[in-house]
Amino acid sequence: MTDALERAPANRTPPLPDEAAVIARAAAGDRTAFAQLMEHYQGACYGLARRLLNDADQAADATQDAFIHAYKAIGGYRGGIFRSWLLRITANASYDIMRRAQRRPSSPLPDPEEGAPELPDAHAVDPVAEATRSELYRHLEVALRGLPEDQRTAVVLCDVYGMDYNEVAAMTKSALGTVKSRIHRGRLRLRALMAEHRELFTR
Amino acid sequence: MLNFNHPDDERLSALAFRDTDATADTSLTAHVSSCDRCTDLVNDLGALRASLAELPDLQPSRPLRLLPEVEAEPVAVDRFGGWARRFFAPVLTAGAALAMVGLVGTTVPALDGMASSAGGQADSAESTKAVSEPAAEAPEEAAPEPSVALGAAAPSERSTAEGADGLAADSADASASAAADGFADPSATTATEGSGEETENRALASDESNSDREAMTQLPADRSPWPMVLFTGVALMVAAALLRWILVPRAG
Repeated sequence: MTDALERAPANRTPPLPDEAAVIARAAAGDRTAFAQLMEHYQGACYGLARRLLNDADQAADATQDAFIHAYKAIGGYRGGIFRSWLLRITANASYDIMRRAQRRPSSPLPDPEEGAPELPDAHAVDPVAEATRSELYRHLEVALRGLPEDQRTAVVLCDVYGMDYNEVAAMTKSALGTVKSRIHRGRLRLRALMAEHRELFTR
Repeated sequence: MLNFNHPDDERLSALAFRDTDATADTSLTAHVSSCDRCTDLVNDLGALRASLAELPDLQPSRPLRLLPEVEAEPVAVDRFGGWARRFFAPVLTAGAALAMVGLVGTTVPALDGMASSAGGQADSAESTKAVSEPAAEAPEEAAPEPSVALGAAAPSERSTAEGADGLAADSADASASAAADGFADPSATTATEGSGEETENRALASDESNSDREAMTQLPADRSPWPMVLFTGVALMVAAALLRWILVPRAG
């Protein structure tokens, strides 16, 4: 299984400078080191949970659950990219919450992040390009939330976080063909949802 | 160039997202390169792929707890300490109560007198014996009177030694007094009915018994039970507190 999560883009959380040492300390039971790791990666974990669950509160809960799972499991961590390891735990925690929510459906609370534009980085080399990118990301997030849950889950895991088809199939307990179909349909639907913002892609 | 025989959109999506089986399909790539509609679709999906892969991390809208709560260490079951506390608490209380009663009894003179009286009656046998000891030194001219009950035995021994005469009336009074005091003295009753020396002796014995009881009610204050009660209470308290301090584990 290829670890596509290793292909984290530059605008996502980079590894800690002394990450291996911090991980070793955390694995040995150093709670401060573990907290340092979780604080560093909480944005990555929360982002994944938020996109999977489409609900801010549930995403926060899933992230906390992932931290607890990680705390219990870090003693058995056997190397590799820590961010990918942690994101897999987060994806599983999010999927658990998703399954529970499907058994007990409820209407989510209004999302305070909905439609809130990200402020462009004033220190960016090209503030205009940065503002355009921020606008694109915001519309993409909204479009992702507009996908059906099965398609959104597949697209987020595969196209946003780089899992391969087999991994997504295992996580969602679905057939490989079903996963591929969901991903492709989700992409086409995303394209349709982003049609009116097409110009943002080309700038 | 128009080409209405387009490939399936999922194949085009796979090509846009660079799936190896799609990129290796030459017929697919050839069609896309010759079809504006499919080219646009693949380009749009390619741009979408790049943008999705660059989506930044999100910060939670509320602070998250980074560490699971530390599980409280199980409190060691202090079975012995609990048992000792339950045992020593009533002992301490009883000791304190005893000490209080003893203290009050010792310091209040009226109570002290009552206790002396009660103590004198309770210890009548011992007290009588103590008082009658001088009588044992008297000549043993008169035969002992085995039928005289408790408290009257010793004076009866003294009766002939003193040789009193004509005290029948006194003996009758004495027997009545003894009966009233609860002293079972059949010999005194016999003395009122009988005559002669034996009757006189018995009468004298009853009289002596009466005077001894009066002496008993005037025992000195050091015979009072209150100091002993006070001492017992204090001793109980000290012992219970000491054992509790030794046996019961202390915090910290």
